Amino acid sequence: MSSPGPASPLVLSLRGVSKAFGAVQALHDVSFDCRAGEIHALVGENGSGKSTLLGIASGFLAPDDGLVEVGGRRRRRGSPAEARRFGLGIAYQAYSHILDLSVAENLYLAVPKNVQPAYGRMEEWAAARLEEFKVDVPVTAVMGTLSLAHRQLLEVVKALLARPKVLLLDEPTTALGPEEVGQLHDLVLERSSVGVGIVYVSHRLPEVLGIADRITVLRDGVSQGTYEAAGMSEDALVALMIGRPLQLAFPVRDDNGRPSEVLLDVSGLRGERFGPIDLKVEKGEILGIAGAEGNGQAQFLRALGGVERSAGKASCNGHELNTKSPLGALRAGVVLLSGDRTRESLFPVLSVRANTTIQVLRPLGRWGVLRRRRERRTVDDLVRRLRIRMASIEQPVQSLSGGNQQKVSLTRPFLRGDVNLILADEPTQGVDVGARFDIYEALRAKANEGVAIIVKSSDPLELAGLCDRVLVMSRGRIVDEIHGEQLGERRIVEAIVGSGITRDRTSPAEGRPA
Amino acid sequence: MTGRFRGWIPLTLMTTLIVAVGAYAAVHQEAFLTKYNLGNLLLTTMPLALVAIGQTNALLVGGFDVSVAALMTMCVVTASFTMGPGSSWPALLAGALALVGVGLATGIFNATLIRVLRLPSIIATLGTLSILEGASLLLRDHPEGFINSNVIGALNSSVSFVPLAFIGVVVLAVAADVWLYRTRTGLALRAVGRDETSSRRLGMSTGRTVFLAFVICSLMASVAGFYSAAQVQIGSPIIGNYALESIAAAVLGGASLAGGKGSFVGTLLAALFLTLIGNVLPLFHQPTEYAQMTIGVLILLALVLYQGPELVARFRSNWQGVGRLRSRQGEAPAA
Repeated sequence: MSSPGPASPLVLSLRGVSKAFGAVQALHDVSFDCRAGEIHALVGENGSGKSTLLGIASGFLAPDDGLVEVGGRRRRRGSPAEARRFGLGIAYQAYSHILDLSVAENLYLAVPKNVQPAYGRMEEWAAARLEEFKVDVPVTAVMGTLSLAHRQLLEVVKALLARPKVLLLDEPTTALGPEEVGQLHDLVLERSSVGVGIVYVSHRLPEVLGIADRITVLRDGVSQGTYEAAGMSEDALVALMIGRPLQLAFPVRDDNGRPSEVLLDVSGLRGERFGPIDLKVEKGEILGIAGAEGNGQAQFLRALGGVERSAGKASCNGHELNTKSPLGALRAGVVLLSGDRTRESLFPVLSVRANTTIQVLRPLGRWGVLRRRRERRTVDDLVRRLRIRMASIEQPVQSLSGGNQQKVSLTRPFLRGDVNLILADEPTQGVDVGARFDIYEALRAKANEGVAIIVKSSDPLELAGLCDRVLVMSRGRIVDEIHGEQLGERRIVEAIVGSGITRDRTSPAEGRPA
Repeated sequence: MTGRFRGWIPLTLMTTLIVAVGAYAAVHQEAFLTKYNLGNLLLTTMPLALVAIGQTNALLVGGFDVSVAALMTMCVVTASFTMGPGSSWPALLAGALALVGVGLATGIFNATLIRVLRLPSIIATLGTLSILEGASLLLRDHPEGFINSNVIGALNSSVSFVPLAFIGVVVLAVAADVWLYRTRTGLALRAVGRDETSSRRLGMSTGRTVFLAFVICSLMASVAGFYSAAQVQIGSPIIGNYALESIAAAVLGGASLAGGKGSFVGTLLAALFLTLIGNVLPLFHQPTEYAQMTIGVLILLALVLYQGPELVARFRSNWQGVGRLRSRQGEAPAA
């Protein structure tokens, strides 16, 4: 590991940067810098502002306030092209590949004009670059046909092609197996030894501690300080990452008297981003799914709900669960509460009444004609029960707050008598504290009726408070299970950040559907 | 290799159809292969060819421009004022510039609605269409005002039976295709059309690309307006159904409705083919209404044939695609 002295020039410097998205303050007065030849890691929980900080550094996002300097030159406006000219390279977590174009074309587009070869020599040039970076893929292959691991490596290669002074890596190892992580780290170390400053964003603390010179911790958009990696431990970092003031109440768990009866039995389920996964969920149980963003949790949940392709076996209530379509899942009593409420769960322009009853119109009508009075009474009941705050049940759902919108989508499982399993993807994202408790209570109430619930959440505190049991996913597989006395915020965070190279032996690229 | 090969399907198909229909007509009708008819065919192709080449730009960046026909009408109406009989050559030049000015202004207006105000291109250009139609009717509520015959003569000048302007359009289309598939900026345009977020991340000026594409589309439509004017020769507020036909020609020529794919030569061939159908049917004493129906059927066939593999792939990964779209869009603000 190289140890640059304090005399090394700053290649990236952010001073007092703030950024808000609507009402959410993603970053508040954060300062961060990176010296030439240094590996500076940036760690924090999901939603702590890491990607926003990188977005601002790279020019993809414009800060509301603060200064950004790249290679000693002050950036004037948010422009990725300008940042690249000043010597900044970035590998995005969600990639910047154009999937319909070939590998060669993608590499070609990634470098500034002065580095580009003649158009006709593109493939030759691309092949030479790939050899240089020891990535073994054909340059004529269409990007979209490559494995996720290859796409991730190529994203880093693209960032390096322009010979940047500072390289930003946003979660560069989520799709990589242990060997590829090693390959990537060799590449990163080699670059830093020739004076490239590297900003390494990751939630995998063993990886970070193994490679970084300095570490900066973000929590809720605020910097918790910058530390020499040599003096840090996983424990100390976790302590800096969590420690949010506890301001949430949770409904009481009532395990006693719950008959232990398996409702959902999944074996060998796999999809593009996850698997194989085996798990059992009991009736009346609330199961939490934790993990760093992008490790297949959402995809797994969505596969169970029939909205994402998967292969493998799943049975619900003793019958085989058809995961080919949302209808198959619904018929088995599996209800998915999507993480993208306004686009996948609700009809934003329709009223609260229409959104509530849309799946269960038959029992509310007679001879195919809706009976409004009966419908209203049903909706009014639920509105009172879930404490949905609004002016009238005829109000369009889009005019409600996030919390009340989520409650409206939660009314549906209450109206169906045949619900066996609720899949809740980030049920409290964008929901204020008051409404959260109502949502937790509604979920617990359903659980007490014998319904099984799987909650995917990026908030460990929420999982610890709400769930009976929490599974931790990493690279698409379950790597840890936490229950009973152990179940706590700190234990979950430790499991997420510790699930690095050592515990995971298989690459998710092998876990594709057959 | 199949991926590269696929780009040639539309060109091959269009050429084959032109030759087949042409050969059939030549065998059965003497009138078809006369210099007069062929010259006339190429001249009638001009407005559609020009406007469809412009439309291809809009499709390449993943949009539509349905205001092109109204803009062409506006140009014809404008020409009936600025390029009337008896004008001197300098006055005619100024009049011609006025037409181009109308095209430029419309293009900037459309592009502003689409890029700055972020309206979907169909809605934005529908609005423009309505405004231009109204303005044309305001200026000429019935066909009136002859267009300078010297100008018409100049636009129609030919070598043997081939109009000079047609040669110009062929050169333009070939040059544009070479640009699109053999240069850096052409590749950048295709990239922006395919995936705007990734392109922006790679430092491409996506806003400028889309803006320019719509301005060029309108400019081409105003040039097409010259040739419409040369054909109707009078300030008529009613010009044909070029909006749909231009999209039809671009799609038959290989443009993808999803953006990022298309060929200017293919568009030109398709424009020639569509005009050929309209040219041949009267020779066989068939009503031209059949041409309309044939065009509709052909567009559907072309979509299935060219985009079939894509559609199948999309159908297969349908559910997955929903997830991918979601995670991509949701990822920007989250950390």
